[in-house]
Amino acid sequence: MSDTILFVALPYLALFVCVFGSIYRIRTQPFSYSSLSSQFLESKGLMWGSLPWHIGITVILLAHVVAFLVPGLWQSLMSNQTVLMVVESLGLGLSFLCLLGLLVLTVRRLTSSKIQAVTSTMDLVVIFLLLLQVGLGAAIALHCRWGSSWCSGTTTPYLWSILLLQPDTTYIHDLPLLVKAHIVSAWLFLLVIPFSRLLHMFAVPLEYLVRPPQNVVWNNPRRFELQAQPFVKEEARRHFLNAGLGIAFGGFLLSMGTFRNIFSFFFGPRLSRKEEAELMELRLSRLESTVSQRKLELERQAANCILVAPLADLNSVTGKYFIDYKMQPAIAFKGKDGLPLFISAKCTHLGCTVSNKVDEQGKILCPCHVSYFDIETGQPNADAPAKAPLPHLGWVIMDERGKVLVSRNPKGETTGAITAATEATARVYIAKSQEESA
Amino acid sequence: MISVSTALSAISQFIGERFPVDKLNYHSMVEKKEVPVHKMSWGYYTGGLTMFFFMIQVITGLFLLFYYQPTVSDANVSVEYINKYVAGGALIRNMHAWSSSCMIFFAMVHLLTAFAMKSFVKPREITWIAGVLLLFITFTFGFTGYLLPWNQIAVNATKVGLQSVEYVGQYLPGQLSEVPKILRETFQGESSVGQSTLGRFYALHVVILPLALAGLLGLHLLSVQLHGMSQGVDQPAKKSEKFMSIFIFKDLTLWATVFLVLFVLAACIPFDSFLPFPLLAPFNALGSTPAGIKPEWYFYFVYYPLELLPFWVILIASMVCVSILIFAPWIFKGTSRRTLSFITILVSIYLVVMTLFGEKIYEFFKH
Amino acid sequence: MPPLYALSFTAASAYPEFQQFVEKNSHRTVNCAMCHINENGPVGNGEGQIGSFSADEMKQLNKARAALLPGQDVDSPILNQFGNEIIKAIGKKEFVALKAEPAKLAERLGDKSDLDGDGISDAREYLDGTDPLNQFHGDPGKLFWINLGRYKMHVCLAVVAVFAINYGLIQLIKGVTIVQSGKN
Repeated sequence: MSDTILFVALPYLALFVCVFGSIYRIRTQPFSYSSLSSQFLESKGLMWGSLPWHIGITVILLAHVVAFLVPGLWQSLMSNQTVLMVVESLGLGLSFLCLLGLLVLTVRRLTSSKIQAVTSTMDLVVIFLLLLQVGLGAAIALHCRWGSSWCSGTTTPYLWSILLLQPDTTYIHDLPLLVKAHIVSAWLFLLVIPFSRLLHMFAVPLEYLVRPPQNVVWNNPRRFELQAQPFVKEEARRHFLNAGLGIAFGGFLLSMGTFRNIFSFFFGPRLSRKEEAELMELRLSRLESTVSQRKLELERQAANCILVAPLADLNSVTGKYFIDYKMQPAIAFKGKDGLPLFISAKCTHLGCTVSNKVDEQGKILCPCHVSYFDIETGQPNADAPAKAPLPHLGWVIMDERGKVLVSRNPKGETTGAITAATEATARVYIAKSQEESA
Repeated sequence: MISVSTALSAISQFIGERFPVDKLNYHSMVEKKEVPVHKMSWGYYTGGLTMFFFMIQVITGLFLLFYYQPTVSDANVSVEYINKYVAGGALIRNMHAWSSSCMIFFAMVHLLTAFAMKSFVKPREITWIAGVLLLFITFTFGFTGYLLPWNQIAVNATKVGLQSVEYVGQYLPGQLSEVPKILRETFQGESSVGQSTLGRFYALHVVILPLALAGLLGLHLLSVQLHGMSQGVDQPAKKSEKFMSIFIFKDLTLWATVFLVLFVLAACIPFDSFLPFPLLAPFNALGSTPAGIKPEWYFYFVYYPLELLPFWVILIASMVCVSILIFAPWIFKGTSRRTLSFITILVSIYLVVMTLFGEKIYEFFKH
Repeated sequence: MPPLYALSFTAASAYPEFQQFVEKNSHRTVNCAMCHINENGPVGNGEGQIGSFSADEMKQLNKARAALLPGQDVDSPILNQFGNEIIKAIGKKEFVALKAEPAKLAERLGDKSDLDGDGISDAREYLDGTDPLNQFHGDPGKLFWINLGRYKMHVCLAVVAVFAINYGLIQLIKGVTIVQSGKN
């Protein structure tokens, strides 16, 4: 029952009284259609009170109106987390600004004797209602957060339902008391407008925002002399104020947008267990490949000769891959004379590893850009992308006791010979000494 | 025979003219400072832009420093980690990559406009020479930084770049022919590009070059502040605007706009996407070299001619260009700005054509 | 087992027709790592290559090779996530048939799958020659518009913030200048 009175009857009464009362007053008492400014009576307090109050409330009211007029667009904007944070923080901050301004105005109105002389009861009602309403709004922003988001499903459809003459209070039925009080207070406001100075809102004095500073020229000679100084101070102060606003606003937006990221950046990423495990595996595999490479390098540093294969295992068609003293790939074949034939496997074009299978023409293929190399001469075919030949490597054959039987240096000169007896146990090595002389 | 005292007084007069420290006061440096307004006035902004990009590099670089690891097994993983897991990491890394290209681009534009405006004549010779050295340092920044991700393109492009140092050896007589090889191995720190190279390139990129650049930049900026903006055009400009209110506002607004453009580019286009993905794979010492290895775009104006022409031609041309750059204040002392602009336009056309179409030109001539 | 990289050619190097098509179509270099684990393909002794597999892995490979029809979740040890996705989507039989018309692979894959989440479908990345498993790799033009859409709020807020600070700094300097000139 009280819901119907407060949220159906009161709104319609308030709207009716506001619309018709305002029209009546504007037409019959046009001189009272003003903000009844008391600037000439007391100007300093007014500046410190009225400016923050008006700046804050204009932006806040604007946001309320936009959220009401275009709920679809508003909702999609608010669904972005950063935008929501910005709007909520801005709203809360501005409401504090309004409260501060109102406080100054209240103190001024209650304590300045000049202002008291022109204060009516309605002025006191208005300022009390304003304090109440803004206070409630700030409390809602603190205790029932993210109002700019939940309004789209509650208060906005309720307001539309009132205006479309199909009042539906189920939207706001379950809202907290703070919110309901804020709504009731808003309707009371509307009711009070035609009877108070709040009527000046309808004049929508937008020119105030962009009017140039007004220079008061005094006839009084004492003040006339001083006026250049204050004018400079006024102008400079205007710039500093704008500067402060610009930098503060920009800085505020920047920190809203980046704060979470900057904090996370320094706090460090926190990975899920699966991600940690995958990362560990990746790091481990890279470390392992570095380890195996270092092991090969160590072997090539320490050992004077490195085993490639037993002589019997070498083949003339399928070569065996190994890594030479320079850490490059190479292939070991059995040559036509029964002795080993070692050739580099690093393609002289771009370094791909050459295949180890000899085709019918005695050539091996580099599959990357299709160059064929003859294994006897190392020369690439005529139209191959590789131009330089694959170099041959030297080798040493030793028996099981380590006695050198045959060796061939990189130039192709063979020393020694192998017999049928030693062939069975002969093993082929690459020798560090040959590498150094090459 | 010049006596010691005459020499000393000549030197002190030379330095006094180049560094008029009596101008180091608020009145000369701020209140009276004016910027000429003429058709080349846009060139006055290019130096500030280069410095702005450098500041972005320092800041993004500092952030990257928290997570990057300069070892051959971890470098690539740490860069991937920054991209994938660190909050804002991908944006910071991308800004660093984009801003480096922007810095080098604007450094070149600054060089060209300063040359065309004849800003190097007396008393600004020291400014000019410091600027040329700054340019070399900037390119070295690019070269050393490119190695740090330790992927295929990074390591192989560095190998290719360092090989060209060694090629000089064939033209040097006798024992001297070994010097370039020794020089190259000094840069590498070992016989081939590996952990030692990564370690010293990291030290260069993060500490040594920034200190050198900061020092030279301080000198360069001091000189610019003391002398103010140069005349810029042959007929002295009729108009000039005040530095403190008008020029600096335009400068700040330009920086704001440029920053936003950079931000959008860095947020939307990963720099890696311009490369073929095989080049982005982690470097494999025992594997093959992928096709398409080439240095960064700002080296194309040297790289493609190097591929097309004999090495000695490029060597001589580079030495001539560097000498002209360093000694410009004396070589072009009597040249009119009209001629200088003409030379600048020719050079710019060469740079633009070789950078944009170098690959196509190379392919055209090779096949 | 020595850590080697051998390439033997008993089985022909997988399906080079696809690589040739992609390189020609996109004017970008690609290698086997688009679909395979190893950048040099499945043949050899390295990681992700047949020569280095254990008995279990061989069993896994044979199971994957038998997935002739679409819809089977394969986890072939020679294929990466994209390769496995292709086999799952169209089956081995049709894939081999598409060797003759590699351009049609993109059509058959459809554009629903986007494994790296960069906003460009895998089929499109196949045609563009970019890495379908790397969210930071894709056609730069497409990535620009996709990311601009994703980050438009951030961009707008950044524009407002930067210009607000710029305005503030300018006003500050103006104020200081007026005070200074007022003093003189």
